[in-house]
Amino acid sequence: MGAREILESWGVKDYRVIDRAAIEEITLGASILATGGGGDPEIGLLWTYKVLDEGKEIIMVDPKYVPDEVQVASPATLGAALVLTEKPPSGGVLNLAMRRLERYLGRPIEATIPIECGGVNSPVAYAAAAELGVPVIDVDGMNRAFPELQMTSWVTHGVHASPTVSVDDRENVTVIDTGDDDVLAENLARRAAMAYGGISWVATYPMTGRQVKEASILYSQSIAWAVGKAVMNARREHLDPIEELLKSLRRERGVEGFSVFKGKIVDINREFGSEATKGFTLGRVTMEGIEDYRGHTAQLDFQNEWLNLRIDGEVRCLPPDLIAVLDAETGEPIRTDIMRYGYRGTIVLIPAHERMRTEKGIEMFGPRHFGYDLDYVPVEELNG
Amino acid sequence: MAEKLRVGFDVGGTFTDGVLMREREVLAKAKSLTTQDVTGGIVNALDELLSQSKVDPKQIGMVSLGTTHTTNAIIERRNLNKVGIFRLGAPATTAIPPLTGWPEDLKEAIGGSELVHIIRGGSEYDGRDIVPLDEKAIEQACQKMKGKVDSVAITGVFSPIIPDHEERAAKIVRDVLGEEVHITLSHRIATISLLERENSTILNAAVITVMQRAVRSLKQAVAERGIDAPLYIVQNDGSVMSADYAVDYPIFTVASGPAASVRGSVYLSGIEDGVVVDIGGTSTDVAYIVNGFPRESSITVTIGGVKTNIRCPDLLSIALGGGTIVKHEGEKVKALGPESVGYNLVRLGKAFGGPLLTVHDIAVALGKLDRKLNVFKTDFVTHPEKIAELPKPLVENAWEAIRVTIEEAIDKMKTTAEPVPAIFIGGGAMVVPKEGIAGVSEVLSPEHFEVGGAVGTTIAEIGAYAEGVVDLEQEARDGAIARVTEQAVENAVAAGAIRDTVEVIDVEEIPFTYMPGKREKIRVRVKGQVL
Repeated sequence: MGAREILESWGVKDYRVIDRAAIEEITLGASILATGGGGDPEIGLLWTYKVLDEGKEIIMVDPKYVPDEVQVASPATLGAALVLTEKPPSGGVLNLAMRRLERYLGRPIEATIPIECGGVNSPVAYAAAAELGVPVIDVDGMNRAFPELQMTSWVTHGVHASPTVSVDDRENVTVIDTGDDDVLAENLARRAAMAYGGISWVATYPMTGRQVKEASILYSQSIAWAVGKAVMNARREHLDPIEELLKSLRRERGVEGFSVFKGKIVDINREFGSEATKGFTLGRVTMEGIEDYRGHTAQLDFQNEWLNLRIDGEVRCLPPDLIAVLDAETGEPIRTDIMRYGYRGTIVLIPAHERMRTEKGIEMFGPRHFGYDLDYVPVEELNG
Repeated sequence: MAEKLRVGFDVGGTFTDGVLMREREVLAKAKSLTTQDVTGGIVNALDELLSQSKVDPKQIGMVSLGTTHTTNAIIERRNLNKVGIFRLGAPATTAIPPLTGWPEDLKEAIGGSELVHIIRGGSEYDGRDIVPLDEKAIEQACQKMKGKVDSVAITGVFSPIIPDHEERAAKIVRDVLGEEVHITLSHRIATISLLERENSTILNAAVITVMQRAVRSLKQAVAERGIDAPLYIVQNDGSVMSADYAVDYPIFTVASGPAASVRGSVYLSGIEDGVVVDIGGTSTDVAYIVNGFPRESSITVTIGGVKTNIRCPDLLSIALGGGTIVKHEGEKVKALGPESVGYNLVRLGKAFGGPLLTVHDIAVALGKLDRKLNVFKTDFVTHPEKIAELPKPLVENAWEAIRVTIEEAIDKMKTTAEPVPAIFIGGGAMVVPKEGIAGVSEVLSPEHFEVGGAVGTTIAEIGAYAEGVVDLEQEARDGAIARVTEQAVENAVAAGAIRDTVEVIDVEEIPFTYMPGKREKIRVRVKGQVL
């Protein structure tokens, strides 16, 4: 069965076919919303190009058309971004993970849901959908990127990561079923990735169509697409990419983003590996203002993704709100894993989606979870 | 050795510049037209240098050149080798086979997908095999390649850290295909990032014959003139490598020209840390100098439509040059460029009686130009009355706008708030402000900057690097850095450096994200002397 047949069986006639240009726009937008993390988009993009070149179709469907009872799941990569750039996957890994999850569940998976907005995990969910012959649903679990498996709107709305199937290129398979303990699922999945050689391929967050509608960030793919399209258009038309990005958020989400700083990186302080850092790259970046911001200083903390921004000592953004550092000329995001001294960028702040800002969400991925002794204050209040 | 003379050439698109140097002194300069075969232009310039200076060719101890003819061969898909391509990585990596994303014509020029083989093998980051190397499959693939390939490119997963599988594969290829087929191993070409390293490796294999021919005919030409000196070629970081080494690694010369220019201006000025501002007719390139070398770019470098991770100088280009049009409304400057009249300055600029106001005209109006421009046949101003007509406030506003533009470009490239020295070179160096630039301690325009690229090739320094992934829970940091440094020193010696002179330029540490433990990548750059 292919994606079109599945949609037919659902009685859905309205869907979007994703071509190469669209996937490029979506991936750029997702990389921007990945808030400094999400990995190198190159691998995910090349994989989807290959899938398209083989004549497979990528089809995206509106969540409102997804029947309540159908089974869906999220295909993703989990592990070290650097390992992924050196060891791209075999074509079959996500197929294998999804098929084994189907076997464990005893039900066929009829659609994929991207887990996050990221340079890798967004296009990967599309490539996997095309290889499986199922549609992608226009949702995700974050509308940004976060470092850990359990940091999703799905968990804060009562859906769990378990069972998760984790595989590698040699077709080793690990089934993780920790019930409602999503933090333990993350812990085990991370260890499986390490044992495999630094990177794993997972089929996770199995859920029903009804749960998709109740717990996801709806239209997350369309938001990423609009953002990517706006920035690409700005490049072609020689418009200000930052301004076009803010306009696209206004149009697509009805929210106001904030362009708050332009500067260059003058100091990077990375700390990692100790018990306290839980295996992530923690650090702080100092940017010195240029042009209109000369004389001002910005400090950004990161744990793989950007977390906290202070300008001249004043807090301007806290998780789960989004921080993007973008090249002012091209709108290309500057990632925490490849940034270096001297990088120049504009800092843009974007309010997190409402479903990421619930009380449970602030508890699970708000400032205190990341070790800040601060109450969460929405970015629009900090920059109003 | 100290009294030995050095000859250097910068082979540009139009002109080949040559210099003859004794220590820091320029004994002779020459300019000739670049020829299709590269060698012709160099020989003409060499003959002029020898006849100008009347030196004994035997006194010459080093001949070096900067050239981008390998880049041109790739861009023009000319004289490329047929390349047998091995990737050691299956069952991983097969989702994206070699040559994915390559332009069709380039793919075809090197033999196409029919010569591609993905073999079971490769390593994990911690040294384990992904799976054991399938040596039989390599042998069978080689049998099929017999007579169809000029060179072979081998790329193994994690080979920059564990080169073992690549070396074993190379031995099999050598046994089956013989000595005539050149083998390029990816771990000697570039760093972590499989697809970009593989692309770099394949491109290297594709231009080996091009480089081989150029080096062979140059050696011959030099010998015919009684010069008994080793030949060196400038690599992308601005240092040199021996020509014999360059034959195996031609891809390291893709940014040879711009790198040599930066190094030349550093050398002529004596400034080791600062910015180089190369002002041309239509644009200005700003490079940042660290320890005498151009800072490397950290973004992907695209060559002939293929993404590579070859290390190249970090250059910021802005649309400002002598021919840049000054757009204004009355006395107010609206914009500088981005359009430029370029070489039509002598027809279109106000100073030459033309209709357009340019940066050049502003400098003339302020009396900043007092010599003839060597790029043009004419004087710097033929219609002084047109310049005299310009309103003084407009001239002053434009001068200020130019100053701000240069100031911002320099500031963007700086990594410290401290003022740094700036070296202004290029044909447009005389027509821009040199005073009052914030963040700059002094502006220098050294003598001979018009042959700066050729001078840059004569600096007898070799650069090399090595990298490795370490687990700091298993190995002490100092020990790990020492181990990588040792490899970098070996690489420098292989490229022609004298062992005792090799010193560390910088050490970079990049942690692995999304992975527990204390793993990181260490990269060490070194330099050493060749004379």
